[in-house]
Amino acid sequence: MRWIRWKALLPLAVVLIILVGATVLWIDPTVRRGVEADGTAAVGAKVDVAAAHVRLADGSVTLRGLAVTNPGKPMTNLFEADEIVLDVALLPALEGKVVMDTVAARGVRFGTARKSSGALPRVPGAPADEPSAVRKLVEDWVAQVRVPPLSLSTLTQTVNVDAISAESLATLRAARAARDFVDTARTRFTTGLQALDPRPTVDSAEALAARLRGASLRTLGIGGARQAVSDVRRTIRALDALNAKLMLFERNTRGDLDALGDRLEAIPAARTADYAYAKSLLRLPTFEIPAIGPQLFSGLIAEKVGEIMYWVNMAEKYVPPGLERQLRKGRSRARASGTDVLFPRARVYPDFLVRLAELSLAIGGEGAAAGEYEARFVGVTTQPAVYGAPTRFQLSRAAGKVGPRDARVSGSIDHRRAPVRDSLTARFSGIPLPTMPLAGLGAAVALGDGTSELHLAREGDGLSGRWLWRSANVSWTRDTAGQPRAATPTLRLVEDALWRAVSRIDSVEIEAIFSGSVTRPQLAVRTNIAEAVADALRVQLGEEVQRAEQQVRARVDELVAAKVAEVRAEAEKIKTLVEERLAEERAKLDAQKAALEARLRELVKLPGIG
Amino acid sequence: MLILKFLQSLVGALNSNGTPAQVGVGMALGLCLGLTPLMSLHNVVILAVAMLTTVSFPGVMLGWVAAVPVGFALDPLFDRIGMALLTDDALTPFFTWLVNTPVVSLSRLNNTIVLGSLVAWLVAFLPAAFLFRHLVARYRVHVFARLEQLRLVRAIKTSKLYGVYEMFRT
Repeated sequence: MRWIRWKALLPLAVVLIILVGATVLWIDPTVRRGVEADGTAAVGAKVDVAAAHVRLADGSVTLRGLAVTNPGKPMTNLFEADEIVLDVALLPALEGKVVMDTVAARGVRFGTARKSSGALPRVPGAPADEPSAVRKLVEDWVAQVRVPPLSLSTLTQTVNVDAISAESLATLRAARAARDFVDTARTRFTTGLQALDPRPTVDSAEALAARLRGASLRTLGIGGARQAVSDVRRTIRALDALNAKLMLFERNTRGDLDALGDRLEAIPAARTADYAYAKSLLRLPTFEIPAIGPQLFSGLIAEKVGEIMYWVNMAEKYVPPGLERQLRKGRSRARASGTDVLFPRARVYPDFLVRLAELSLAIGGEGAAAGEYEARFVGVTTQPAVYGAPTRFQLSRAAGKVGPRDARVSGSIDHRRAPVRDSLTARFSGIPLPTMPLAGLGAAVALGDGTSELHLAREGDGLSGRWLWRSANVSWTRDTAGQPRAATPTLRLVEDALWRAVSRIDSVEIEAIFSGSVTRPQLAVRTNIAEAVADALRVQLGEEVQRAEQQVRARVDELVAAKVAEVRAEAEKIKTLVEERLAEERAKLDAQKAALEARLRELVKLPGIG
Repeated sequence: MLILKFLQSLVGALNSNGTPAQVGVGMALGLCLGLTPLMSLHNVVILAVAMLTTVSFPGVMLGWVAAVPVGFALDPLFDRIGMALLTDDALTPFFTWLVNTPVVSLSRLNNTIVLGSLVAWLVAFLPAAFLFRHLVARYRVHVFARLEQLRLVRAIKTSKLYGVYEMFRT
């Protein structure tokens, strides 16, 4: 039976030609859908492309009407571009990789309104009020760094010191730890001394010394005298060995006493911490300037930084470091998507690469951002370890009649190997700064035109950054709608005083400093507004707060005093016991050694013995 | 008309066209089109093999049609098979070569579903071919022969509708 059907060669060729022809015919919508699908997955919100045109002959792809939704604001585009021309390399395309030598964009606009929401459809079964991915990340970030706003209301309430629970105090925990250590040290000392067992050796030495007291050559005889010298020397050696053991034991015991001393010293520090903790339970207003800044602005600043952290997170997700195997969700199709497993290798084409993108951005209108910008991206890739160089970007303002006098953004994403290193520097001067509400004070400051500077650096999980807003022409508004006036006349007086203090300020500087790690961030806020608030609070509320603080300290002292006294007494007892017993054992040992050495000197003077 | 022709070829494949071995191997080949994602490079190869060899092409179509729902149903299993293979450290050098080699990398064998379903089909190919050959042979001897004797079938064969069917068959 023949197994080859040669006459089918022609139909097969026809089928293949049809397949290739269909691919070429459908390549435009395929590319359009591919850009939309991959872009949507990467951004976390809808990416729309009006049309795509592929020119296979010269390897160029033109995208028209690109709109990328802002994942944080689904009715707004992050940016729109009228036309983007991509110069795609063909050889890497045969490996299923996207390598673009150059990218040129025209008609790029930022923050434009969308006709329909660009939010991704909800996962089936997810609750209706479930926040989006960007919202979740921002909320997580905010929850970690937000400080409760300044609160004056506690001052009108009776200070309830009963809310301070003894079990929550660090002093008691430190005292209990010290007490436990006293028991441990006592047990160790007692069992150690028993194991050392000096009594038989000392008793034996004492008996030998007594036997030889008044002995002479006549009573001992020449052989007995020699035997006596030998016995004395052996016993002295035993006493020396015992002395060495006693010294080692004494050193260990003194180490335990030192450790106990450390634990006792930790108790006052714990008490200081307890004062602060107990004070925080009452939420008394603080007069410390570093604490006031975060109370006023941490919520607002955390929101803004949280949005940046979303993009840092996305960069980490889509640009993993190193040449390790990477897992990605497969492309959508009728069948299950599965997972694409990527196997990066050095010195080949990465899966996605834009060698150079030079963009001329024109932002129209009369807004602050209007003007011409130039942006340059070098080495944008999803596999930096394969590409072998960090991604760098730079944006600067080329010209503009209105808007910022100076706008510069630059940075790099270096994910070639762990730890990853990301940096971002942005400086805008002469731009309208935001209006910032002062949390808890019922006031808001419109910063007007000013300077905004952002520096952000990330190395591995470590995060450091600084965001500065500076304005010399601020205006103040009192927000009695958002925050109603205080109920009591006393507090209204305080509020008025604070309002007078801050509304006199015409030049404001707010500096947010973030540190810690991406997963456990810390935020500090320094501002000259905090100084004014602290001064006003000190004048208005100093005595009230001081009185409340004294009550808190007295309550903490009352809760911990008995236990601390007990621990100190027990510690003194063990110290005394140790000193007495060690001195006693050493005295016995020294006395017996001295007696035997005296006998030895006498014996060696005898003729025929020495 | 095309659908009718297609159905005719399927019935013909089962009943008389080609040997049971040709139909069996054809159906086993067709399984690949149904079990694995259709738009895959390896399916072009399968199509070429199906056309260039004397396996029963209607058998290929029959295998494909039968395997499509099975493919959808077994996707979770294919995903696990593919993931196990793709994350096996011993196979990493092979897959690294595969995804970085021109044209070969277009096979998308680094996708868990594509790889898992292809491997499952490769494993099932020979048993399936023998099983289908056996079933077709038994069908022709036992089922088809009896069907031909049924009064209903004879009545259909003498009907005008069957005349139309026969007309398109030739």
